[in-house]
Formats: sequence, C-alpha cells, structure tokens
Amino acid sequence: MLKLKYFGAVAEKIKVQEENIPFSNSSLQELVDALEQKYDLSSLSYSIAVNQKIVQDTNNYMLISNDVVALLPPFAGG
Amino acid sequence: MRYNRQIILPEVGEKGQEKLTQAKVLIIGAGGLGAAILPYLAAAGIGEIGIIDDDAIEISNLQRQVIYKSDAIGKSKALEAKEMALSLNPSIQVNAITDTLNAKNAIPLFEYYDIIVDATDNLHTKYLINDACVVTHKPFVYGSIYKFQGQVSVFNYQNGPTYRCLFPDESSNSKNCVDAGVMGISVGIIGMFQANEVLKMVLGIGNILSGELLIYNMLTNDQQKFDLVKNNSISLSRDDFEKKYNAIENTVLEISAKEALEQIDNSDILFLDVRNEEELPKVNLPNSIQIPLSDLEENLNQLDSNKTILVYCQSGMRSTKAAEILKKHQFLKVQSISGGVLKLQEIIANNSVSIL
Repeated sequence: MLKLKYFGAVAEKIKVQEENIPFSNSSLQELVDALEQKYDLSSLSYSIAVNQKIVQDTNNYMLISNDVVALLPPFAGG
Repeated sequence: MRYNRQIILPEVGEKGQEKLTQAKVLIIGAGGLGAAILPYLAAAGIGEIGIIDDDAIEISNLQRQVIYKSDAIGKSKALEAKEMALSLNPSIQVNAITDTLNAKNAIPLFEYYDIIVDATDNLHTKYLINDACVVTHKPFVYGSIYKFQGQVSVFNYQNGPTYRCLFPDESSNSKNCVDAGVMGISVGIIGMFQANEVLKMVLGIGNILSGELLIYNMLTNDQQKFDLVKNNSISLSRDDFEKKYNAIENTVLEISAKEALEQIDNSDILFLDVRNEEELPKVNLPNSIQIPLSDLEENLNQLDSNKTILVYCQSGMRSTKAAEILKKHQFLKVQSISGGVLKLQEIIANNSVSIL
C-alpha cells in the first residue's frame, strides 16, 4: 500500500487531503504521472516528497510498499 | 529593564540582547505576514528593521493586518507600520521604504541587512528575493499561506538549500489571499513562525528550519516537516542576476486595454496607432496620433517623448514591435496595449469606459 498526502491547491483539486492506494512496482515519476492523469493536475505545479524527504530525481526513485508520498505546491499568500 | 523578561532566559542573557541590538532585519511586505512579524521583532529589540511596501491601507486589510487602525485607511502601510513599531519600542531604528522590491533595488537593499524576511504575496517576488539573497549571501526566511495552510522555511542559510531547490518551476501559479481568502489568525501563526526563525538565528539558539519545509494546517493543527537538500547544479552569480532580470524587465512593455482606457483623460498620455491608414475600425481617442509601423522610425519627431506613449494596433503584435523601437530611441515611457483595437473595442462596447 502507498499513502498519498496532498496539500494546498493540489488537495483542493483532488478533493481529499490523503488517500491510500495499492502498491505497484513503479518509479515515483510513474506514480505522479498516473495521479496527474487521474486527477487532471497538469495545470498545477508541485514538488514531491517521499517519507518526509523531498525528491528531486523522480525518474530514478523506486517506490517500496508503505512509502508515504506527498505532493507539495508552493503557497503564495501573505 | 525593557528586555528583562527575555534576558533572564539562559538562552538569551545580556549577550543575546546585545546580538539582537546589533541585528539588521529587512521585512519585505507590510501586509498580513509583515504585520505579524514586525511588532515581535521590534518588541524583542532587533536594533534596525527595514520594512518595504508601496501599498496603502484598505478596509479589507483590517481583518488580518492587525497593526493598522481603522482611521488610517488610505495611508501608507510602510509608514504606519514604522510608527507602530517605534511607538512600541522607541529605542530601535525602523526604515520604512515606500517602494516595491524590484531587480534594481533588491541587491543594494539586501547588502545592508543581515536577514531577509519574505512577507510577500506572490511567487514572482519570492524568486527575486531568493536570487538576490543568493547573490548577497543572506538568509531568506520564507513564509506563505494558502487558505488554512502555511509554509515556513529558511533558505540560503549557511550555504543551505534555496527556494529554487524546493520549487524549481518558476512558471507556476498560486492564489494569494485576495483570490483564495484567508483568516487573520493564519497569517498570524505563520508570521510567528517566521519571527521565531529570525530570533533564533540572531541569538544562535534552537534549530533553524534550514533544509526543512514546515507545513502547518490551522484546521487540523497538523504540522509536518519535509527535508530538502540543496540542488548543487543551480548557481547564480551577480552577472547572471543582472542578465536575467534585465531581460525580464525589458519585456514588461505591456498595459491592459482596460488600464489604457482608464487614462483617457490624462493629458500626459499619447495614444499611438501604428496600423495603416485604411485599417478599420477607427478608434476615436483624444490625444492620439496615427503613424504606421513601417513609417515609425522616420517620424519619431512627431512624438513627444515627455508623454507616456500607449501604442496600439489591431491585436497587439505590431504595437509590441513599435514599443521596442521607441524604447531603443530613448522613449522611456512607452507601453503596448495588449489585445489592441480588438480588446479596446470590446471594453468600449461594454461601456466599461466611455470615450466621449
């Protein structure tokens, strides 16, 4: 299983703050592409963290079961 | 006497108080975040605080910008903020800068201060702050809000990660409080986190949120931290900064049709139509002249360079070229009306502006 956490405008678009999905042997980028398709996130920009660490090279990051993936958009209000 | 309650803390002491007195902190923005940060830094005795904002106080600010008074609506935020801070603590120095932060003033400003605090409300300025902090080697105390959530971090601290390490994509959009909405307590809480980082850095105590992004949720009281590493493949020298921002500033030659029409009665404005004579529809604007783009360079003497020249064509393409030509010939006040006659007509038809 993978736990997904969403913040800011991403959570608003997806309409939940977190969800669990079945685990599959994919790279982090593949997971993100699937989410982007499923929830139509292409207009949003966000960084991605796994287990509380921001990942820069999402193509080469392989997920393992029980990973917690977070989508972090920048906030602008002030 | 004034600082007794913090001096008796072992982490502070007289030595700590002296560090606070010697510190110079710049707060960019006197809005929601700035209004929370400034009083606490002033109260703690930060010796010199700069506050930069070119806005005036509006009534809708008062639900969250708690340092302003109802009878000060219309006054300068930076100047009112300074007055508040000095009446709270007359022993410090407060510099109110009634200007916007831009690529020309950022580096000289940052060079003067020790710590830069981001209390802004848009992503573009955050990238500018980041870049100027990198060039001047100053730490950048980041804070931002989205509705009931907030983010805090300290970038560029002792060679730590920068804002671009976290959010490399400069083209993203994010709503600010005007569009998305916000409660006063949200900017208050995040502003407190930011002021806390400033004080810890100055005193040299506690753990600084460098290499960490803190996200706080006011509705759930959930607080999370995410670790972030520096992306060593990005670097920015002073030269890179000059090139990048000069390029950006030079492309800001546009004005919206609506804004252009709002200036109709302004005698310092000259409307320049660069279409050919036979093109329709004609737009009857006062203070206007028509010079086709192809004849423009030979007929510059027909234009008064003391006026602000608003150029238009059918859709906004030729007028951009015309604006560039004028700028090259030292016409400093030139803008191209985006959307051209097509847009102007739309607005006139909607009666948003009358041109008689």
